[in-house]
Amino acid sequence: MGQYEQYLPLLKAVSPSWFDQIREAGVKRYQQVGLPTRHDEEFRFITLSQLGEIEFQPAYGATIHRGELASVSQFDDQFAYTIAFINGQFAPEISSVENLPQGLHLVPFDQASSEESEIIQTYLGKVADLSGKLGSNNDQRFVDLNNAHLGEGAFLYIEDGVEVEHPIHLLWVSKADHGPLAFYPRNLIVLGNKSRAQVLESYLGFSGATLGNSVSEIVIGGEAELVHVKLQDENDDAFHISNVSVRQSESSSYTSYNVNFGAHLARNEFNVFLEGESCHTRLDGVSVGLSGQTIANHTRIDHALPNCNSFEVYKTVLGDDAKGVFNGKIFVYQDAQKTDAKQTNQTLLLSKRASIDTKPQLEIFADDVKCTHGATVGQIAEESLFYLRSRGIPYEKAKAILVYAFAAEVLERIPNEELRQKLESKLFAKLMPSEEA
Amino acid sequence: MPFLEISNLHASIEEGDKKEILKGISLQINKGEVHAIMGPNGSGKSTLASILAGRDGYEVTSGTVTFEGADLLEMEPEVRAAEGVFLAFQYPVEIPGVTNTYFLRAALNSIRKHHNQPEMSMSEFTKLVKEKAQLMELDSSLLGRSVNEGFSGGEKKRNEIFQMAVLQPKLAILDETDSGLDIDALKIVANGVNALRSQDRAVIVVTHYQRLLNYIVPDFVHVLMEGKIVKSGGKELALELEEKGYGFLENALVEA
Repeated sequence: MGQYEQYLPLLKAVSPSWFDQIREAGVKRYQQVGLPTRHDEEFRFITLSQLGEIEFQPAYGATIHRGELASVSQFDDQFAYTIAFINGQFAPEISSVENLPQGLHLVPFDQASSEESEIIQTYLGKVADLSGKLGSNNDQRFVDLNNAHLGEGAFLYIEDGVEVEHPIHLLWVSKADHGPLAFYPRNLIVLGNKSRAQVLESYLGFSGATLGNSVSEIVIGGEAELVHVKLQDENDDAFHISNVSVRQSESSSYTSYNVNFGAHLARNEFNVFLEGESCHTRLDGVSVGLSGQTIANHTRIDHALPNCNSFEVYKTVLGDDAKGVFNGKIFVYQDAQKTDAKQTNQTLLLSKRASIDTKPQLEIFADDVKCTHGATVGQIAEESLFYLRSRGIPYEKAKAILVYAFAAEVLERIPNEELRQKLESKLFAKLMPSEEA
Repeated sequence: MPFLEISNLHASIEEGDKKEILKGISLQINKGEVHAIMGPNGSGKSTLASILAGRDGYEVTSGTVTFEGADLLEMEPEVRAAEGVFLAFQYPVEIPGVTNTYFLRAALNSIRKHHNQPEMSMSEFTKLVKEKAQLMELDSSLLGRSVNEGFSGGEKKRNEIFQMAVLQPKLAILDETDSGLDIDALKIVANGVNALRSQDRAVIVVTHYQRLLNYIVPDFVHVLMEGKIVKSGGKELALELEEKGYGFLENALVEA
């Protein structure tokens, strides 16, 4: 946080004065702990010391033209209502937030109307907060760090009863063409009662060392439904540290796909708090890490009330010397009877040097519940590989097809066909750089 | 020059006790011929089929296999396939997440690429697949499903021959394709194989029982026992085996 004092006036200039409070609390809490080491339970499997060694500058401006954007983003204007940020700054030139349908609000924080600001004020900084919740290691230091840098951000609000079929894209692009860059994406998504939406939250990088430390707060109203795809496809030098915090009201449904293809190191947290009865939660993830990459996924579901179910399938593919971490926490509170929670974590290791640490963690305080978890770590089956090769498919391609099939099972469930296909071809390209899908 | 020439082939299991399975097999196969290889369980029939297709796990300790003049054993499995060798698996493998159609198209286009041919157009491919699926009486819904996943035993075997019909190999090796098939499925499989028979191709039928040979009539029958061919003859040898069992050849084994 070396240059924080110089940077603060810029943050103040783009945000309302009440943000001060969140920033100050964030600074204070972060400074008490600082960068984590391997002695910190939540970070014991990864090394973040490089973050202290690289001199990241606070975000600076960069220009990305629409044409240029196509080299990192397969998603155009036609695909979704898009709010875009470049190096943390709102980029109207690559956004499409005009002509939104009735009941859909998509604005940068500093352009919110007074009515919108009221909703922002109700939730911002309050969802990504584990204080008072179960768990002995509620380490939120990177949320605090993001809070400390609270400035610009995306606000998405769907009014009660409004169903938006067209996808909504929160796009964060980075381009560190003037030295290492730190930026702090912030999203607030509020779905009114009985509303419906599908959101793509993506982090796409051009080049250069970056630290993207994001926080997305999501509030889902009663009987509302959100499909949320988070795509991390940063460049090879990027550090991506994200937190997605969700609050679900009664009978709501939240489905997330946590998709990781890029970054030197990515650490994602998905924390879902079920504060209403009869909620459905589905947390799925697919991560592919190859040479030099580290991908850590931490999920947490708080079953605070009865009759909710949660399903979780995380798949990880690691090749070369890549490292993976999966930590899946499920807390079932004393009142949360009839909870049905199922967690599955499957890893495919493509090389002897690749490794994963998996840690399912179920803490159950109710007696009438169904909770299961399972973790598998395996390699490509030789017999399957031989079968494909015996039909003429060369070794590398046969391997890619089998790995693809393993990972794509998660993507297959994404309801939006265009999005699904684009992610599938990204996956294929990652596994088979020289081939067309 | 024979189409396929196996000379004095010795092979052992690569791991463990390194047991020798094939103890000097010699066999010549010409284009246009169908050879049946019969023998009791554990005689080395499937090992021979596996070695021809390039499966890992065996070590060829001596002998050669020449396919159209080239050293077959030096080729990777995918090159063998591209050069026209096809193995119908005894136990077809389930590949979740890869559809039959995608799999076949990838295979077909890989083979075409090997021969510097352009990819087959989607419409041409669809037509080919439809035609061959009909030949094998394969429900077209199976084409969109993951390879062999949830298929019945008979469907799996028919799927093997269907793949063969699409890929049109020069040398087809059927490894116990008849096991677990009822008579109707057996006839369908035989039809598929007979449709492939031509003056430009050869077929090796590996089987324990004579039954399949009623429908795929071989030109030659070889009996494999304890890793050696103990007797060769015409199609009537299969009938003799059916009648007398493998026991009557035990003397031949001593002589061989």
